[in-house]
Parts: sequence; C-alpha cells; structure tokens
Amino acid sequence: MTEGARIALAVGAALALGFLVMACVTDQPWAAFRALVTGPLPSMERAADGRLVMHRLVRFGAWLQDATTLTLVGLAIAIPFRARQFSLGADGQLFMGALAAAALSLGLGDVPAAIALPLAFLAAAMAGAAWGLAAGLLKTRFEANEIVTTLMLNVVAVQVYRLIVGRVLNDPTAGFITTPPLPGAATLGPLIARTNVTAMVLVAPAAVAAVVFLLRRTTLGYEIDLAGANPWFAARAGVPVARATVLAFALGGAFAGLAGFHVSNALLKRLPVDLTPGMGLEGIVVALLARGRVAALPLAALGYAYLRVGAQAMERATDVPREVVLVIQALIILFVVSDRLAPLALGSLRRVWMRIGRTA
Amino acid sequence: MTVAPLAIALEDVEKRYPNGTLANSGVSFTVAAGEIHALVGENGAGKSTVMKMLYGLERPTAGALRIHGLLADFRHPGDAIAAGVGLVAQHLNLVPSLTVAENVVLGHEPRKPGGRLDRVAAAARVRELVGQSGLAVDPAATVASLPVGVRQRVEILKVLHRGARIILLDEPTAVLTPPETATLFATLRHLAAAGHTVLVITHKLDEVKALAGGVTVLCQGRVTGNARMADVNEGTLARLMVGRDLPPPPPRRPAGARLAPRVIARDLGYVDGDGAIRLRDVGFEVAPGEILGIAGVEGNGQDVLARLLSGAAVPTTGDARLDGRVFTGLSPRAARSLGVAVVTEDRLHDGAAPTLSIVDNLLATRYAQPPLSRRGLIDRGTARRWAEAVIAGFDVRATGPHQPIGALSGGNMQKLILAREIADAPAFLVASQPTRGVDIAAAAALHTRLVALRDQGAAILLISADLDELLVLSDRIAVLYRGRIVARFEAGAVDARTLGLHMTGLGPEPKGGDHD
Amino acid sequence: MNLDLVATGTAAAVVAAATLRAATPILFASLGGLISELAGCINVALEGVMLVAAFAGVITSAYSTLWFPDAPLWLHPWLGCAAGLLAGTALAGLLAVFHLELGADLIVAGIGLNILAQGLTVLLMAHLTGDKGSTASLASFALPSLRWPGIGAVPVLGVLLNGDEDTGHNVLVYVAMAATGLIAWALRHTVFGLRLRATGENAEAALAAGLPVRRLRYAGLLLSGLLASGGGVFLGMGYLTLFQADMAAGRGYLALAAVFLGGRRPLGTVVAALVFGAASVTAARLGQLAVPAEVVFMIPPLVTIAALVLVKQHQRLATRRRAAAGRAALLSP
Repeated sequence: MTEGARIALAVGAALALGFLVMACVTDQPWAAFRALVTGPLPSMERAADGRLVMHRLVRFGAWLQDATTLTLVGLAIAIPFRARQFSLGADGQLFMGALAAAALSLGLGDVPAAIALPLAFLAAAMAGAAWGLAAGLLKTRFEANEIVTTLMLNVVAVQVYRLIVGRVLNDPTAGFITTPPLPGAATLGPLIARTNVTAMVLVAPAAVAAVVFLLRRTTLGYEIDLAGANPWFAARAGVPVARATVLAFALGGAFAGLAGFHVSNALLKRLPVDLTPGMGLEGIVVALLARGRVAALPLAALGYAYLRVGAQAMERATDVPREVVLVIQALIILFVVSDRLAPLALGSLRRVWMRIGRTA
Repeated sequence: MTVAPLAIALEDVEKRYPNGTLANSGVSFTVAAGEIHALVGENGAGKSTVMKMLYGLERPTAGALRIHGLLADFRHPGDAIAAGVGLVAQHLNLVPSLTVAENVVLGHEPRKPGGRLDRVAAAARVRELVGQSGLAVDPAATVASLPVGVRQRVEILKVLHRGARIILLDEPTAVLTPPETATLFATLRHLAAAGHTVLVITHKLDEVKALAGGVTVLCQGRVTGNARMADVNEGTLARLMVGRDLPPPPPRRPAGARLAPRVIARDLGYVDGDGAIRLRDVGFEVAPGEILGIAGVEGNGQDVLARLLSGAAVPTTGDARLDGRVFTGLSPRAARSLGVAVVTEDRLHDGAAPTLSIVDNLLATRYAQPPLSRRGLIDRGTARRWAEAVIAGFDVRATGPHQPIGALSGGNMQKLILAREIADAPAFLVASQPTRGVDIAAAAALHTRLVALRDQGAAILLISADLDELLVLSDRIAVLYRGRIVARFEAGAVDARTLGLHMTGLGPEPKGGDHD
Repeated sequence: MNLDLVATGTAAAVVAAATLRAATPILFASLGGLISELAGCINVALEGVMLVAAFAGVITSAYSTLWFPDAPLWLHPWLGCAAGLLAGTALAGLLAVFHLELGADLIVAGIGLNILAQGLTVLLMAHLTGDKGSTASLASFALPSLRWPGIGAVPVLGVLLNGDEDTGHNVLVYVAMAATGLIAWALRHTVFGLRLRATGENAEAALAAGLPVRRLRYAGLLLSGLLASGGGVFLGMGYLTLFQADMAAGRGYLALAAVFLGGRRPLGTVVAALVFGAASVTAARLGQLAVPAEVVFMIPPLVTIAALVLVKQHQRLATRRRAAAGRAALLSP
C-alpha cells in the first residue's frame, strides 16, 4: 500500500469517527458534517447579467491563508526533525516573529513599503530563528531535552508577547488591548478581493522549494540529514553535528517567525494581546501528514487547513463547537502514526469479506 | 527405540521473514542428550535464526522443532525456558545497572511475602550455582563494572538458574581471549558430563575440533553437512561452509629496510569522565608501508586509542604526529584533513548511517571538498557515479547506489566503509576490527585492500581481536593490557598462544613500565 | 515566645502548605511519568490524562446526585474520584494500545492524545453545560480534607498541617505523599520493581530472561495513567471544585520535566516536583506585589530551563573533578 493511500485511509477513518462524535453532541449531525466538508469552497452563481459570480470568497481566502501559515509552521517542525529533533517550539517562534515584525513596522513609522516590508520580514525571520537557536543551544550545549525546553520557551514567548503588546505597544484608543494598526506601507495587500490572501501565499511554497533544495543539494542540508540519521557516525566522519543541529532549530524557527509575519503584517495588520497559541501543534499535524517529506508540506497544509476552515463554518452554521476539529485532528495524528493499524484493519476487513463470501 | 534420547530435533524447518527473506529452509538435524554439538557456517548462513527459533525469539514458518521428543511451539522465550532451554546470546543480554545476582534471578526471582525480592536468597543461589559450575563471579558486583568474559559467565549462570538442560551458545568465544576460551570449554565439558546438552554456534573450525562431538554445517540457510567430529577434518568443513575453496591469504610484505617512521605517538594517556585511567604511556611508531597490529582483549584501551588517534577524544597526556604534525587533540575533521582515516569498531553504531543510501554514506567524509561539492553545493551526479564505481570496483552486492546501506550484509557494508576511508589515499589508517562479523570471502577481499593500501606507502594501525588476522597482516604487533602496551613483537617471531598470554597479563616479562 | 519568630514561622508554614498544595498534582503526574519512563516508555500524554481525569471526576460527582438521589452525600465525591481515575487510566491504556499494538510512535501518539483530551473535554462540557469555559454552573463536589484535631491553636505547626484556613489538607495531598513513599520502596524492593527497571533499561535482556516485556510496559503505562489521574482528580476536586478548559495548564509537561530533572530517580523527581510547586506559589505571591502577571507566569518555565542547565553543569563539574583526580593519578608515576 502506498503512503498516500495509507494517509487517505487514516484521514477518512478520523473523519468518520469525528462524525460519530458530532452525532453524539448534536441532533443535526448531517448538516454539521456538510458544513465541515464543504465550508471552505466558494459557491458559483450565474448573476442576472449572465456573468459567473463567486460567493463565500472570504472562507475560500481563509483556507489559503490558513494553509500558508500551516506550511510555514510545518517547516518549523519538519526541518529540526530531519536532524531527529522533536521541536514543539513553533508556537513560541511564531509569537516572537509576529511581535518583532509588528514592533519594527510600528517603530519605522512612515517609510516606503520597499523598506518597511523587507525589514519586517527579516525581523520576523530573525526573531523566530533566535528563539529556535535558544532551544538548539540548550540541546547541544546542555543536553536539555528539546521537547521540554521548546514547550517551556513557548510559554515564555507568549508571556513576553503579552507583556510587550499589553504594556509597551498598547493602543489606548482601541476598545481592547492591542497594538495600533500597522502602517499601510508595512502590510501586504490582498491578491483576492475581500480576503487577506497576500503575496505570502506564494512565499510559502517558495520557502518549501528552497528548503527542499537546501536539504538535497547543499552541504548544510547533508550535514543535517547525517546528524539526524546517526549522530555518532556523523561525528566520527568529521561532520559538525552540534552546528548542524543548532542550525536546523534556527532555520525551522525562521520559518515559524515568517508565519508570525504572515499573521501580523498580512492577516491581522495589528496584534491583539490574546492572539491564540496552539498553531505550533497544528504544525506537527502538518509535518506528520507529510510524513517528514518537506516537498509534501504544502499539500498536507492545504488538506488540513480545509478541515480547520470547515470547522469554523460548521460552528457558525450549527451548535457543534469547533473543538470537534481537535478530536478529528487527534485521531488523524493517532491513525497516521499507527503503522500497524491499516494492515490490521484491512486484514480483518478482508477476513470478514471472505467469510461473507463463503456463507453467501 | 533410539539408543540415545534426542534432546533437540529439527525436522524440515523453514523460516521466512515477513519481508520475504528466506533465512532457513529444509533444516533438519538432531542432537543427543549430553552431547556438545557445533553449528557452523559463514555469517548469514542462518545459524542465529536456528538459535532464535529454539529459544522462542522467532517462530518457524514450516517444519517442526522437538525438545526432548516433545513438539515445541515456542511463542516467546518464557516457553523455551519452561521447556528447559537456555540461550547465551552473542550480544550479551544483561541489565548493566543491576547486580550479578539480580541479573541471574531476573524472571525467576526468589520472593519474600508481599512480592518482595529476596536479595539474600538470590545471592545464596548464585553462590550455589558458582559452586556447582565452577564459574567464578561475585554476586554483589554490578554488571556494568565487569569485563566481557565475566559477563558471559553471568549469562551461563542465568541459564543454569532456570534449570536449563539444553544450553544454546551463539558465538561464545568471539569476545574471549584464548585462556578465557579454554576456561569456557572446560566448563561446557563439565556441564555436558553432568547431563546438559550444549549447542554452540561458531565459525572457528579449530574450536569445533577441540570441543564438539557432532557438527552440523549450514550454508545459505540449508544444511550442507552433518557429521561426527571424529569422521571429518577442518578442510572438509571449510568447503562445506563456503561452498567453494578458500582464497589464498594475501602476500606478506617483502622484507626490506625499514623506513623512517611516518606516525609517531608518544606518551598517550587518557582519563575518562569517571576518573578511570583508560590508557597510559602508550607510544609507538609506524613507518610508511607498515602495518602495526594492536592485540588485546576488548576493553583494554583499544577503543580509546582509536578514538584518540581519529580526533574523537582528546588525550589527557601525550600526542601523536603524522609527518611531523600533531594530529591528536584537534577534531575528527582536522585529523582527517591531515591525512588520517578511520574504520570504526562498530560499523552500525558509528561507521555508517544504516537508514541512508550508499551514496550518502560514502559522502560522509568527503562531502565538503571538490569534486563532490563546490561552494556548499553538492554535486549529486558526481557522487552517484563515484558510488557506482565503488560498488563495481569493490564487488559490493547491492541493487544500486541509492539502496539503504543498512540493507546490505555486514561484509558488503564493510567494503563500502573501507572504500570510503581509503578514497583519499590516507597517510595513516586506523582500522578497528575491520572484518568482525564479516564472511570469509569478504574478509579476504578487505585484507587484500588493506595490503594494497600498505603497499602504496600508507601507515596502518590494525586493531583486532582476531589473532589470526593480526598474525597474517601485521609487520609488528603490540599488546594492549589494561591501557598499557605490555609487549611488542616482530610478526614473524610470535604465535597466537604467546599473544594470548600477554593479552591476559600473564606474559613472562615483568608487568609495569620497566624498560629493558 | 518571641512573636517575630512565630510570625516568621507562620509565614513560612503558609508558604510550605501552599507549596505542597500546588505541588500535589505535579507530584502525582511526575510519579506516573517516572514509572512509565523506567519501564522504557516516555508518557507525553500525562497532560491529557490529567485533563480527562479532572473532567470525568467533576462531571461524575455532579451528575451522581441526579443518578443516585438517595445516596449519602459523602458518596458523590468518591464516585467522581473513581470515575476520574478510571477515565484517566483508560486514556493511558489507549496510549499503550496505540504504541504497543499498533506501532505508533510514543511521543507523537502522546501529543495526539493530549489534543484528543483537550478537544473531547471542551466538546462534552459545552454539550453538557452549554459553556465552553468551565463547569461553574454545575454543583460538583470536592474530596474531603483531613484536619488534624486539636492543633489549630498550635503556632506554625497548626498552619503547616491544617493550612492557613485551618480546614486541613485535601485527602489527595496525603495520598500523594503516601504514593511517593510506596513507589520509591516498590521500585527498589519488589520483584515487580526489578522487572520494570530491567525492561526499561534493556528490553532485549528482559525478553531473553523470559519477562513479559509487553505486559510490563502496559503495566508501566497504566500505572502512570492511574497516578496522573490522581493529579487530575485533585485539580478538579480539591485544588478547585470545578473543571476548566485546559485545566492541567502544562502541569503534565512540567511533570515530565521533573522526571528528567530528577535524574529518573524517585527522590530527585519528588524534589523537582516540589521545586515546580514552589515556583508557582512564588509566582502567585509576586503577583500580589506590583510585578506584572506576565513576568510571574514566566517564572516556572524559566526555572525549568535553568534547572535543566544547572543539573547538567553540576554533572559536568562532578565529571571534571573525577577526571582531575584521575589525571593526577595518571601523571604521578
């Protein structure tokens, strides 16, 4: 069985079980399920003058926006994983990236977009990279378990973010705790009207392509792969294992930082204090669905973003809370990593099938 | 009615792994109770699989096993233990942080009320078993602190504690010195005389001759010979094992004037993180075109010496120079750039990345230099062509350059590792156990390559537990014992027995650092 | 008696009692983490186990009054407690099945189950109470507190043993302490402890010795689930008397950190759990001063990271000392 079919099966099973859960908490499970599955699609209608008109573009946009963020945080998980490092730090890196981009954009004030945008972009990448670098150094210098340190660094990052947004960058004129709106020159304009689909939707696949090239064709990429495959061997062969590991963390962090830039300078255009953490965990799902293959990340992100946007549509349309998508997400994770599940399920299915055939 | 009751009987046993590999096919042989029986064959001939099936670690896909006449369908080792079968595995299976007594009783512990472990009874039981078998060990010692030979005794005690009547030993002498081997053989004969049945795997034919009453030869998963020891000679067995005649040993170096040394190590000493002295006062010289052999029982400092010389550890005292330049105490990469190459002791642990392709494994030491990379970009085409050339030139059995190296046999993997290490024509090669676990044909090929490298003028340090290999290849041999060089010989002027005595500290010269 | 001394002692006792209370859930979970870690299975799902246990405990104790209106009042919290332990253990059992039977990576499956727990608890809470935040609208019960009679008036000791409100400590605080001793003892002195440690340290050796390795790993994971459930039940039925979304708030991960920090030994793990408890109490105390809440919340994670670094540095210094002694021996002829 191919890997793709296995994953499709796992996702299908997770959706089916998710439907069962929905059926338990609502009396209109079909409506909820339909909203979940068709939510992100725009609908087309022929208007009075005969032209095709697209409706619900907002959600379609939301799908692409979400996929963009997810691709970038997926990179933040997948790159350290090539060095066999289990980084859960994309969350903190994203917050630091968003904060750095927003702070710089506000600090620069009125400058041309050609200056503001690249600088904010770089600031986000560097802030994320720095946060990843910290976890990498803790691992290589002090052998501190990266699962623990990245989780702890996430907490610190979120609190630093809230401290600075709430007490330094706070806009007292807004009705809630938030930064002032970012200057227009520092924000990205939409590619699709009425959505926040910006140039970042092209940056994400470009980033993936760059990382694929890096891993496959550069000496640094080779070092990261070798350090992950067998660090003892890599060390004896003369590969700078610690440097490769730290750089994998930092590089991953840079992309999570860019996801932060996407959130602050493309999606929200200002940063509220209560920006919800958790995007990092979503990155794990995406990296997992791609089975560690960087080139498959955009596809996995599109698929998973579809589900998330569908869940929002479902929550609006019915009384099923969007948390049901957490359940589906968890089931996808569990089913995808259970290597022996699919053969087991298919095997017993086949046996049942044969027994039916025999009795019939 | 048979005359002697059969302890073990295999009837047309087949083992096919889920991935399709056929490890055994049509294997039938019998072992009488009280017999010492040898199972011989090359690596990969399927000997270990037979052992695993007898011990419940694997289940045969066809055929039947009988233990003392009863059909044995072992699902896990617990079943085998209950049937009176015990296994002393090749890689010793002990829990390092536990004591000898705890390891011996593990799984069959004496208890006090409340599920408590009765440590006093456990120690008493070990002393009792020691008394019966003559295997000397201290029940209170922590296993981590014991040398390999003693750990093996613990394994045998473990088997005896479970009341095993049939004892399986998988390559028990691979890690032992000649005197330790002699002790082990005496113990096994003692146990057989007391009614135990012993089945021992080995590929050393002299051991078979010395120990076994009967022998079964496996080749490529099938039985190719089955005989009473009295009826066969070693030559016959060797042909049965390999399926063809053996290649001749590589030619010795022509005697000539010794050149000025290329590698000079002086006063090397190393203290590990526990404060233990692992190496002291080690000095030697290796001339171009010379192989210096290092003999020693595992754990007497060879691994540390190899690490120091390849830049993987920093010597506490002393240094080593290659063509006048110090290459120790730097880094693996720095040592390599000065012309040092290394074949590490454990190829799966630090000699290769089993999950990566042949190409990626070959690249490991040369990826950062032209022609394989320029300005940080790897030239994948050149790398692939190089890998294809190596596969052809070294007669490696592989499906192609992108096959994971871990899927290859030990011999093929080792050929690739050696190919990688000698690709840059190193001035100094440190080769640790270069043919361990490698079949005879591949070992011969590896030896030829080492000799060819020597003839090109490289200096070689050959660290090996295989005394035959050392005696055939080395020009001079030094013996390491407890971190010191305790004896030095010209290769032609020493035999395995003398080396063995020095390796265990029993050499005729006074111990210590006295100079003559 | 010197009044200052009493005041200082009382203040210290208040902090100590609060630390104990704050450390109890982490202590439970870290004991669980320790047991599965020693069996060779890192249990990342401690967080989810605590959540599920807290939720099941709170909901069951509240609904128990509807299901068994005639039952005596004291029974409801205990029914909740049993349900919480059962639910949490079941989640750990699910982790065991996914890892041991279906070949799932332990860490990823653990994270998956944490997400599942987070989603399911909120989903069911919203379904049952119509509120996605907490179960404040339900009348749930707390497990009883044990109050030492007759020492309320004794300075310092009274506060220490019965808390600053003289209500006594929750029974689970005592259970946690008892469990600590029991587990430390059992790991060292029982056959089960020996087998568990052997399995975790060298599974191949354990298998060759005929030990039921898979069953031992099940035991390790289920026991870790049971213990972490104790922590979860305490959160919902002792520390607070309701369930909140994401109530475990990272304590499961902290507990895992405590296991590593404590060098995978019982005593070390307990000390680390107490340090984390003290850090959160300190954070709360600082919060009463003019220190921003955000800074306060940074303290526990920073303490964790600092502790990991310090432990490593400590080991390094010890190694260096030993090596220096060896070096002296090497240099002396």
